[in-house]
Amino acid sequence: MNLDPWVPILVIASSLLPGLIIFSLAENSVRLRTGLNLTGALLNLVLVGWMLWGVYLGHRYEARLALLPDLELVLLADTLSLLFITLSAVLWLVTTVYAIGYLKGSPHRSRFFGFFSLCVTSTAGVSLAGNLITFLLFYELLTLATYPLIMHHGTEVARRAGRSYLVYTIFGGALLLLGTVWLYTLTGTLEFTPRGLLNGMGEEHRPALRAIFALLIAGLGVKAALVPLHGWLPQAMVAPAPVSALLHAVAVVKAGAFGIVRIVYEVFGVEFAAGLGVTAPLAWLAATTIIYGSLRALFQDDLKRMLAFSTVSQVSYITLGVAIVGPVATIGGMVHLVHQGFMKITLFLCAGNLAETLGVHKISEMNGVGRRMPWTMAAFTVGAFGMIGAPPVAGFISKWYLGLGALEAGQGWVIFVLAGSSLLTASYFLPVLHAVWFREPPVCWPKEHHFGLRETAWALLLPPLATAVMALGAGLLAAMPFSPLNWAKLIAAREFYLP
Amino acid sequence: MKEALISLILPLTVLCPLVLAVAMAPNAARSTVARLAPWVPLPALLLAVLAPSNLSLSLPWLLLGTRLALVNDTARLFLLFTALLWLLSGIYARAYFSGQQGIHRFFVYFLLSMTGNIGLILAQDLTSFYLFFTLMSFASYGLVVHERSSLSLHAGRIYIILVVIGEVALFSALVLATTATKSTEFHLVRQGLAQAESRDLIMLLALIGFGIKAGVLGLHMWLPLAHPVAPTPASAVLSGAMIKAGLLGWLQLLPLGEVMLLQWGEAYITLGLAAAFYGVLVGLTQRDPKTLLAYSSISQMGILTMAVGLGLMSPAAYPVILPVITLYALHHGLSKGALFLGVGVIRACSGAKRRRVWLAMWLPALALAGAPLTSGMAAKFLLKAQIGNAPDTWVLVLQTLLPASGVATALLVGRCLILLHQPRTGDSGNHSARGLVWPWALLVTAVAVLPWWFVPETPERWIHAAFTASLWPVLLGAVLAIAAVGWRARLVRSRERVDGQLSTRYLMPQIPPGDILVPMSRWMTPALTHVCRLAEERLPTRREVLLSSLKKTWSNMHWQGLLATIESSLSHWPTALVILVLLGLLAAALAIIA
Repeated sequence: MNLDPWVPILVIASSLLPGLIIFSLAENSVRLRTGLNLTGALLNLVLVGWMLWGVYLGHRYEARLALLPDLELVLLADTLSLLFITLSAVLWLVTTVYAIGYLKGSPHRSRFFGFFSLCVTSTAGVSLAGNLITFLLFYELLTLATYPLIMHHGTEVARRAGRSYLVYTIFGGALLLLGTVWLYTLTGTLEFTPRGLLNGMGEEHRPALRAIFALLIAGLGVKAALVPLHGWLPQAMVAPAPVSALLHAVAVVKAGAFGIVRIVYEVFGVEFAAGLGVTAPLAWLAATTIIYGSLRALFQDDLKRMLAFSTVSQVSYITLGVAIVGPVATIGGMVHLVHQGFMKITLFLCAGNLAETLGVHKISEMNGVGRRMPWTMAAFTVGAFGMIGAPPVAGFISKWYLGLGALEAGQGWVIFVLAGSSLLTASYFLPVLHAVWFREPPVCWPKEHHFGLRETAWALLLPPLATAVMALGAGLLAAMPFSPLNWAKLIAAREFYLP
Repeated sequence: MKEALISLILPLTVLCPLVLAVAMAPNAARSTVARLAPWVPLPALLLAVLAPSNLSLSLPWLLLGTRLALVNDTARLFLLFTALLWLLSGIYARAYFSGQQGIHRFFVYFLLSMTGNIGLILAQDLTSFYLFFTLMSFASYGLVVHERSSLSLHAGRIYIILVVIGEVALFSALVLATTATKSTEFHLVRQGLAQAESRDLIMLLALIGFGIKAGVLGLHMWLPLAHPVAPTPASAVLSGAMIKAGLLGWLQLLPLGEVMLLQWGEAYITLGLAAAFYGVLVGLTQRDPKTLLAYSSISQMGILTMAVGLGLMSPAAYPVILPVITLYALHHGLSKGALFLGVGVIRACSGAKRRRVWLAMWLPALALAGAPLTSGMAAKFLLKAQIGNAPDTWVLVLQTLLPASGVATALLVGRCLILLHQPRTGDSGNHSARGLVWPWALLVTAVAVLPWWFVPETPERWIHAAFTASLWPVLLGAVLAIAAVGWRARLVRSRERVDGQLSTRYLMPQIPPGDILVPMSRWMTPALTHVCRLAEERLPTRREVLLSSLKKTWSNMHWQGLLATIESSLSHWPTALVILVLLGLLAAALAIIA
């Protein structure tokens, strides 16, 4: 019996089942819940690792379930989906450990972890989706699973943020649905196809296809936080730290960016899209977003809000890499999908540590915090330098390939965008680092808790350290096999461009 | 066997300081590590002395593929003086900070900067060079702001702004160069760049990116602020070793010796000569010896910039010019390091000892000025010998201005010695002079001896010619200096007779360190406020206005009323009829078209 079709289904189940069980658990059954969470996350990681190896060797994992006549639910593991699902599996484990430490003793944990697992399930679904309809289903499920997480605290601000998130994403989802249906009427199939489903579409469909592209990108752009659709993201930072971390690094924002990748490469086909003339506007939109996000981050005093604007800016690197049109730029964009995840999750987890341990939420309160929490802040420093694009942190590799790719594609202006964004990113991160390492700490912190360690609790300290090491390793060892960079090269060679 | 051992040293040169910097993190290990820290440049020093000239280490898995190597004598000499300066400054720092709290913090940044500085000399590909360059630039911020005084924080701010600008310029240059030449190996990039289409843009970006580090005129503002405020051992490596990273960057990246670039050569020569004189002029007005020395570094780096320009103009002669540039860099690195460390020694001593130290300071000072029988004489004479390779128009200019810059340097050095002669309030007492003296004395010895080993092969009896050629600029400088001192003393005495007291009016006017920064900040500040307002107020308000106007139009539309009107109008017979007819027509039209 061929087991291959079962693997993607098991991946989905490994987070879905624990999630469903956790909903039914009592609030105080901590052990069982923690056990379920960790088992699920570990199992998920093992299964994804299995698929990673298989796909590397050329295996194909594909599961098809009939959904509607002529429409199937397809779960497919190709190199691109593995890039995203590996990221989500690794970071899910890290965040789960963190969340267990972070929420220790707080109310509504069963609800939290239930939705948390659902959120990961939908992310896995988004990455494994083999056609647009499957993608759409999981994409909408993701919206619904994250909504309660953003409002978890239940305060007025949190509710408002949740509402705003819902309005934005439902609206985006509607546009996406509209585009999908329209596309279906033209093509009769929605399968993701290497080098494009629409390749060879006739001349007469061009206006309609442009409109469909606009609809799809607008729908995905909401989650990918493309300006001017980014308004929900800075508000959503009221969510608990592990949620923000997952939201910004893997789940929501990346689902949008990943969707854009799928649409451009595997629905339209990048050369076809370039022929339609839709990639150039997309590149400009991404460039605007990059600069706008950095400019807005410059003057935030709330740490998480600053990081949120930084996400707006950084995630658009992925879109930019896609829209430049060229194999090298594609590699830059793809690899940033992973790199930004490592770096941003580190920064958010560190911000969570500051808030939990010292009650520090604002940049103006961070003076001298490096002396009180050296390890946390060392991880933060790695993340910050990565965002700036300084070697050897992963962000440098992304920028390097984006720059090379832009020049290769004859789009020199992108260099200015990269340079400008580096300047701006440095101007909002370096003052923070100065305050952290070179200013005197205050006599007492806003709201200090003492945990077992001198610095903070183990469960809070290890996850950001682990992700910081990943961010550093992904850059320093970029030339190793199975590094995100080499995987991105594999994707570009196998799926998007003829060798 | 011996070869194998030496190739083991290569990675150690970079790993040792890096590992020690990380080992500073746990509290318990700190004191032990700090005791070991000064000695970590030893592998690098050993490598510079022992290694065969084709030593190379490929690490294809590191970053985007890294190659560390000691390719030629230029790299060997850079490594030699860099390692020596770091070693002696590290030993010096132990005494300088003895009994102070900040020593551990200092050594973390010291070791990280050292890793970068040594690594960039060995790096043979663009990306790893950039990695080490970045590490050095950012880590030395910790050295600049170490004292945490308002002066050092200001200097640090200016420094880091320029570092970031330089990083961005460099990144763009390297990306462009890699694309243009399809390679990241320096020796291939140099060759490819000669014919590349984007050559001029790349060279401009490299001029900015490396020029900030090398203190090119116009980008030098950070240097007289940052070098003096850093703790003395850090000033020595900043001004002696790290400043040369910019120069090395040019030597590695620019298509020197590959193609004749007349305009670029002229640009480098003009910038260099201007800096050589500008540095002296502004330096003369300084009252702090360390600031004066920083300006002297700008001036001396100007001479080196000029030499690079010479190489750009005359590719055929570059193989001869390169050893001279290297010798000059070695000479300047050692003597500037010795002068900076000496300032600290003098400040820690008093009485007869102070006088002895002051006398010993004459040696590096005279070497810097290019006095006979010093390394400066050799470096300057050999450089002068290369002028003939320039086009004729430039030969005359250089033949006049190069000796003139020697006079200027002699004046500046004289001023430095005078400043050091006068005891300052607040001097002495803090540091144990004994620990400071011997690393400094070793460095002074190195200034006297070391460069002679590396003087390139030259025609016989050149020393004789060099002796006479180097004598007069120094003598003229000395005469001018003495005249100026005498004149001022007379002036002060005559005024004293009138006023009865010495007024500050008769002191030389001082140009604030950072010179052009003052007028620059006058127009920079409004520009920055403008950007701030844009980002902080205008962008968000624009968005708010847009959103609220959308909301307003939405709420202003009386949806219910509108729908009711449409509904009721639909229920009228005539309307319904008209619509039906229209629909019929439309269907007919569609049918015909189909």
